[in-house]
Formats: sequence, structure tokens, C-alpha cells
Amino acid sequence: MRYSARYLAKRVGFALLTIYLAATADFLLPRLMGGNPAQALASSTGLASPATVAAITKQFGLSNPNWGYQYGLYLWQLVHGNLGISYEYYPSPVSTILLRALPYTVALVLSATVISFAVGWTLGMIGAWRRGGWVDQVGVSIAFGFYAVPYFWLAMMLVFVFAFLLGWFPMGHALPSSITGLTPWQWIAGAVRHGILPVTSLVLTSTAGHLLLMRNNMLTVLSDDYMQLARAKGLKPFSLMFRYAARAAMLPSFTGLMLSLGNVVGGAVVTEIVFSYPGIGLATYNAILSHDYPMIQGAFLMLAVAVVAANLLADLIYPLLDPRVTLQ
Amino acid sequence: MRPWAHMREEPPPTGLGRGWLGGKGWAGVGIIAAFTLMAVFAHGLAHYSPTATFAAWQPPSTAHWLGTDDYGQDVFSQVVYGSRASLVVGGLAGLLSGVIGTAVGLVAGYVRGIGSEILMRFVDLMLVIPALALMIIIGAFLPSVGQGAQILIIGALSWLWMARSIRSQVMSERERGYVAAARIVGLSDGEIMLREVLPNVVPIVIANLVMVITAAILVQASLNFLGIGNPATVSWGSMLSLAFTDDAILQGAWWWIVPPGICIALFAYGFVLLGNDVLDRYARGREG
Repeated sequence: MRYSARYLAKRVGFALLTIYLAATADFLLPRLMGGNPAQALASSTGLASPATVAAITKQFGLSNPNWGYQYGLYLWQLVHGNLGISYEYYPSPVSTILLRALPYTVALVLSATVISFAVGWTLGMIGAWRRGGWVDQVGVSIAFGFYAVPYFWLAMMLVFVFAFLLGWFPMGHALPSSITGLTPWQWIAGAVRHGILPVTSLVLTSTAGHLLLMRNNMLTVLSDDYMQLARAKGLKPFSLMFRYAARAAMLPSFTGLMLSLGNVVGGAVVTEIVFSYPGIGLATYNAILSHDYPMIQGAFLMLAVAVVAANLLADLIYPLLDPRVTLQ
Repeated sequence: MRPWAHMREEPPPTGLGRGWLGGKGWAGVGIIAAFTLMAVFAHGLAHYSPTATFAAWQPPSTAHWLGTDDYGQDVFSQVVYGSRASLVVGGLAGLLSGVIGTAVGLVAGYVRGIGSEILMRFVDLMLVIPALALMIIIGAFLPSVGQGAQILIIGALSWLWMARSIRSQVMSERERGYVAAARIVGLSDGEIMLREVLPNVVPIVIANLVMVITAAILVQASLNFLGIGNPATVSWGSMLSLAFTDDAILQGAWWWIVPPGICIALFAYGFVLLGNDVLDRYARGREG
């Protein structure tokens, strides 16, 4: 399978443009909302001598009040992977702290997405195949029920019931408190045990979208002419469902997978807080509480870049599933 | 009757005018109405002021139907008064998003050209960026976030899906006979969009509007939970935020955690039911 240059250029260009837009929003929004970051930093570090303010002002490139100049400097720093210095963990760079948190969020979002997708697809497929049957009715109503439930409340209830009352799972954090002396298997088992509740809360609330998309796509495909033909040829129901209908219905819902990522990331941000799961969401929450502005900005940008990267990856996989895309 | 009525290939579907809502739709309306009444008559329903204090951490009793929180505030009274924030912020932010989404979808679907193409590319770009994260940085940098700011932030960022959905419907509407007829009669594009196309996509607009309101209710609760809101305003989200930070889970205070969450979910579910019913009826009307 070879990608056409045009498809590749279009997708990469779109990804870069999105990151640029996010970075620009990240630059503009705080300035539009008012406030002097250098002064805030200087006063919060408790070293508010005029010399410190001047030094920090220079360090953050704020000595020149011209936004154009600051913007140029900001982009230049970004290209070099510099997201600024955290107020709270001064003088640690924001990027160091966030890069340590990123794998946790990625693991959470990725496993939740894969599982909710698999569940949603399966239920959507069966539901459409036996439209109005019990799987269809129960699946759709449960999915919508969970759709209306706030992520963080579901997470709190899971902690309350399965960690506090029943004690089946840990109350929070991503790993056992002492990880020294653990064998790799124990480490993995610990990580899984800590991950089950957060992932479950995300899966429960995000399955509805996949289910409905797959169901609708299946219904469309099932009424197509070639399904009629396949049925007339006397193909077995099993092969009709999987080799014909599901395969065709999956393609459009793959696009749905990409667009749902942003939502799952939003959910993960809130869920991490409930579980004290040390990802970007928890870092953002702590940054909000301690007014650590560079951290908030950095976290937003990192989430945006992660989602864009995942989208680009999906865009590159898509032609492998449906070769027609690159031929256009 | 309008002069070009006889030129129609088919009667324009009027999804809403045809029949009443189904059982699910009415159930949704009932839920929404119940919460609206709760918000309006909060003063009469609640036994106490939401900020009056009693003994802390009390389980439910006849004096305090849903117990008290760690400040000793009556949870039932807080839940009742909290409905106001969800109703006002969810409703108004949803309406704001609905107006923007409908306008963008209508124009981008009806008008062809580089402008609407760029507009939709922009919508696609924005869809990729996690909206909640964007709201967090806006909210975090504002000196203070009241209900007005929440409405603006949520409203300004929740219309993207709606715009796409309405656009694709408008794109198929504009190929229909009645639009061609209206054009021949000499109506301007603006008139066709507002007086011909818009009435025909009303069910799609309503279904989307209802979904946007659902999302706005949930997002508002999330923002309050994250501390981006006025903590002095009693809302279901801020109640849960406080319950979480003050360790209601470790205290086993289920009466403080369960009711606000159930209210958010039930209120949002009311809108989901209504939206699904409208959409179902519209789809069935189109098929038949």
C-alpha cells in the first residue's frame, strides 16, 4: 500500500495547522484575559524584588511589550520544545513535568478508546443486525443513560462502591505506593489494578457514541443492493454480517473514532482528578488551584498536540483499511 | 398558499407539525418540566436556606432528608437550589451555541464558495482540539468566572458538531425542488435560507439543540468540579467538587455524593430523550 503524495501532504498540513492554531490560542487567550505573568510569577515565588521581576520578565521574553515580538519569541521557544517554567515547581521546566505525566494520560485514553470502540461496535453491529431486538433496545437505552452521566460523578461512584465499600480496587494513584523490589509482572499487575476503575468510567460514558454510529452505518449498509445480492447468492448469515456488512460499516465509524478522541481526553482530564491519577489532567487541576499559568498553558498545548498526533496516525492507517481514499 | 406551491415535487416534510411527541419525548419533557419547577419554586420546596448550617456529616433523617455536608449545610436544600445553576447556564449556553451552530450550518451548507469551505475547515480544526481543555485555559485566566462567563465560554465552544450536522442536512435540502422553485420565483438567498430551508430543518435543529444543551449541562458541572466557576453559587457541580475535595467518599457520606449526580444525569437524560424522539420522528417522516 502506497500513500499518494497529495493525501499525505493534506493530512500532515492539516495536523500542523491545527497545532499552530492551538499554539496561537494558547498565546493569545491569557493576554486577552489580562494580567501580567511575570509579576504574578515574581510575587508567587516570594522573591518580588524589582531585580527578580526584571530578570523573570526578560526570561519570559516580556521585556518588549510588543505582542508581535512576544509571539515570535513564543513560537521560537515552542519549536525548541520550551513550554516555559512552572510557577509551582519553579524552576522546573513545564515540559519536564508534563512529559512525565503524559504516558499516564495516553495509556488511560488509549485503552478506554480501544475498549469502548470494541464494545460499541459489537453492540451496534448486533443491534442493527437484529433491529429492535433485545440487544438493540437494551444496548441503546443503557448507552444513552450513561451518556447523560457526568464523567467525574461516575468516577466518584466507582471509587465509592468498588474501592471504598468493597475494597476490590485501590482508591487512587496509578501504581502501588512502593514500586521498589517489584518484579515486572507485579508492576504490570499493579498498574492494571490501578487502571481498571478509571478506564471503566471512561468506557461507560463514551461507548454510546460508537454504538450509535456503528448501528446507523450498519443499517445503511444492510439496505444496500449488494447485500441483497449476497443474500440471494445464499451466503451464510455469519459471513454476510462480518465479511460484508460490518466491514463496510466500520469505515465511516473509524472517522468517528478520531473525532471522539477530543471528548475522551476531556473526560480523562476530569477522571484523573477523581482517581489522583498522575496524568496531564491532574497536573492541570493542581495548576488551576495554584495559579500555575505556564503549566495550564503547557498542559493544553500538550493535550492538543497529542490528540492531533493521534488523529494523524489514524489518518495514515485509514488508507490501509480503505484504499479508495488515496485514489481521489 | 404561496404562488409556487404547485411546483413542489413533494410536500416539504414538516417533522414537528405532524403528530405529537412519542412517549419517550413526553417523558423527556416531563423531566425537564419537573426540574424547571424545582428551580422556580426552590424557595418553597427547600426546607432551609442552602447556606444555613447545622450539625455536620449527618446521614438522612426526617429533619434533613438528604443529610448534611461537612459544613452542616442541608444537602436537600442545596440540591433544590442547585437546579437553578444547571437550568440557567445549561439552557442559555445551549441556546447561544444553538444560534451560532444553526447560523454557521445554514450559511455553510447553502452558500457555495471558498468562504464556506474555509469556515468548515476551521470547524474541523476546532473539532480536533479538546474543547474542555480550551475552556479550562480560558476560565483559568479570567480574573473570576461567574455564571455569565460560564455561559459565554460554553456557548462559544459547543456549536461545532451542530454546525456540521445542520450543514450536511442543508446541503441535501438545497438540491430539493422547492428551493429551485423559490429561486425561480426570485427570492433572495437570505430569504430562501431563512423562510424556506430553515423551517424544513427545524427538527434537526431541535434535536441538535437538545444535544447541545445536554452537553452544556455536563460541561458546566465539569467546570464547577474543576473549580472554574463561582464556588459561592450553589450548583450540582460545585456540590460534588466540595464533596470530592472534603473527602465525602472516605466519610462514607453517600447522601452528599449520590443526589447531585443523579440530578445532573436525570436532567441531561430528559434532554436526550426529547432529542432522540424528535430525531426518530423526523427520520421516520422522511422514510415514509
